[in-house]
Amino acid sequence: MTTLDVVTVDSGAETVVPGRRRALRRLLRNPLAVTGLVIVTLAVLAAVLANLVAPYPPDRTDFAAVLQPPTGAHWFGTDELGRDQLSRVLFGLRSSLLVAVLAIVVSLAVGVPLGLAAGFYRIADRVVSRFADTLLAFPFLVFAVGLAAILGPSLFTATTAIGVAGIPALIRVTRGETLRLRGLDFVSGAVADGASDPVLLWRHILPNAVNTLIVQATVAAPAAIIGEAVLSFLGLGIRPPAPSLGIMLSAAQPLFRQGPWLAVIPGICIVVVTLSLNLLGDGLRDALDPREAPR
Amino acid sequence: MGRYLIPRLLESVVTFVLVTIVVFIGVRALPGDPARALAGEESTPEQLAAIRHSFGLDQPVPVQYLRYVGNALHGDLGRSSRTGLPVADSIGHALPVTLQLAVFAIAVAALIGVGAGVVAAVRRRGPAEWAANSVALLGLSVPSFWLGLMGVLVFAIAYPVLPASGYVSVFADPYESFRHLLMPAVVLGSGLAAVVMRQTRSAMIEALGTDYVRTAKAKGLSGGQVVIGHALRNSLIVVTTIVGLQLGGLISGAVVTEQIFVLPGFGKLIIDAVFTRDYPMIQGVVLVTATAYIGINLLVDLLYSVIDPRVRVGGTVL
Repeated sequence: MTTLDVVTVDSGAETVVPGRRRALRRLLRNPLAVTGLVIVTLAVLAAVLANLVAPYPPDRTDFAAVLQPPTGAHWFGTDELGRDQLSRVLFGLRSSLLVAVLAIVVSLAVGVPLGLAAGFYRIADRVVSRFADTLLAFPFLVFAVGLAAILGPSLFTATTAIGVAGIPALIRVTRGETLRLRGLDFVSGAVADGASDPVLLWRHILPNAVNTLIVQATVAAPAAIIGEAVLSFLGLGIRPPAPSLGIMLSAAQPLFRQGPWLAVIPGICIVVVTLSLNLLGDGLRDALDPREAPR
Repeated sequence: MGRYLIPRLLESVVTFVLVTIVVFIGVRALPGDPARALAGEESTPEQLAAIRHSFGLDQPVPVQYLRYVGNALHGDLGRSSRTGLPVADSIGHALPVTLQLAVFAIAVAALIGVGAGVVAAVRRRGPAEWAANSVALLGLSVPSFWLGLMGVLVFAIAYPVLPASGYVSVFADPYESFRHLLMPAVVLGSGLAAVVMRQTRSAMIEALGTDYVRTAKAKGLSGGQVVIGHALRNSLIVVTTIVGLQLGGLISGAVVTEQIFVLPGFGKLIIDAVFTRDYPMIQGVVLVTATAYIGINLLVDLLYSVIDPRVRVGGTVL
C-alpha cells in the first residue's frame, strides 16, 4: 500500500481530514477493532513467517499418521496423505493474503485514477461510468471462469479476476469523493489561486479521499480472501499441490465422513481472518469518520 | 420523467451492446478449437471444415457477430457445439432451477435481513442490536460455500434430515422441492441477508430521526404503526436498490451453490461450457445473465427515481 502513504502532507487538507493521530486514538479505544487488528497482525505474521512457524513442511506426507483427528503432535489433524493440516493452513493463509493484497493493489491502481478522472471531467465520467457498469454486468465468477479458461487456473488468474472485480467499486467510491471534494471551498480557493488540474487532483483531492479509500480497501480485503478461497475451491485459482485454504476445503469434500475436521478447520481459519478484517474495517470507518460512529 | 427515462434507457442499450461485443470477442480469445472439440482428435480436415461451415465459424468475425445478434433477437442462440442441442433449450431447462434458487434465497435474505435490521434500529444500544449486528458481521465473514459444506456435514451426514444434493421442481412436488432447496437457499441468502440487514438498520435509524416520523408520533400513532407504516416504508426503497445492486453477487453465489449441491442450473451450465469450450453455450448464458442484470438494474433505477427523485443512485457490489 505504498501509494497510500505518500499523501499526508497537504496543508490545505487539514480542515477536512480529521487528525490521523486522533483517529488512531479513537480506533484504539474500540475493543472490537483492536481485537480485529491484533488477530489480523498475528495472521499476517504467521503467514509471512510460515516456514519458521509451521511445525512440518506443508507437503511432507506421513503414511503412518493418515487421517488423524487433531492431536498433540498434529494440532489441526492430518489429511489422507498424512500431511500436517496446521502447516498447510499456515502456508494456505500465505497464498490467500498474497492474492488479497495483490488484488487490492490492482483494483486501486486502476480504479482510483479512473475514479478521479470520472469525478473531475464530465466527458471522462460518461466513458468511465459506462466501463464500470459493463464490468459490473459480468458476475464475478462468470468473469473468473472465462479468465481461467483463457489463462489457465493459477495464482495470477485468481489475482486478476479478484482485482478486476474490485475496480468498479473503487471507481464509484473515488468518483463520489472527487465530486464531493471538488465542490468544497478549499478546492475552489486552489482553483482561484490558479492551480492546474493535476495539482488539484494530486495535492488537494486525492489526499482528502485517502481516508475513504483506506476504508474501502479494508472492506475489499475480506471479499478478496473469500474470492480466492472460492476460486481455488472450484479449481479455477491456485492449483494443488500448492497449499490454499480453498483447495484444502475442496479436497475435504469427499472425505466428509472419515475426516470432518479437514473441512471444518480451514473454514474456521478463513472466518476468523475475514471477521477480524471486517471488525478492523468497521473500526477504521468509525474512527476516520466520526459522523458514522454509533454513539 | 422523459428527460430522465430516455438517456437512462439509451445507457442500458449501450451497456448491453458493449457486453455482447466483449463476450463475443472474449469467447473467441479462448484457447482450443471448438470444431476439433466436437469432431474429436481423429477428425479429418474435411470433417473439420464441414463443422466450421455448419456453425458459421468460417465467416469473418464481424459477420459472425452481426449474425449472432440478429439471431439472438429472434430467440435463437445457436446450437451447443458439445451436444448439438439448441442453446436456448438448455438455458430454458436451467433457468427455472436458478430462478427458484434465487427467488427463495432473496426471500430468505429479505425475511432475515429486514427483520433483524428493523429490530436493530428500533432497539438501539440493547442486546437485540448487538445480536443482530453480530449475525450480520458473521454473514459477511463466513464464505457461503463453506457454510454450504458445514450444512451438508450437519444436516445431511451427522443428522440426516435434509438431502445433500439434487433438484426437484416446485411444480412436480412442492414439499420435496422445498426440502431440496432449503439449504442451498439459506446458504445463498445468508450473505445477502447481512447486507440487507445493515442497510435496513441505517436507513431505519435515519428515517426514525426525521420530522415526518416525529409528526406521526405527535399525532398519537402507536410505536408499531410509526415503525411499520412510516419509517419502514421509506427504508424499503433503499433495500430494493441494494437487492438490485447485489444481483451480480447473487449470480456468482448461485454458481458456487449449484456446484456444492449439484443443482442443474445456470452455474453448472456455464462451468461445464467453459471447460468443454462450448462457445455458443457460454455466449448464450452470459448474454441472458447480462440482459437480466441490466434489465433489473434499469427497473430498480426507474422505480427509485419515481419514488424519490432527489436521490442519486450509487453503490458497490462485489
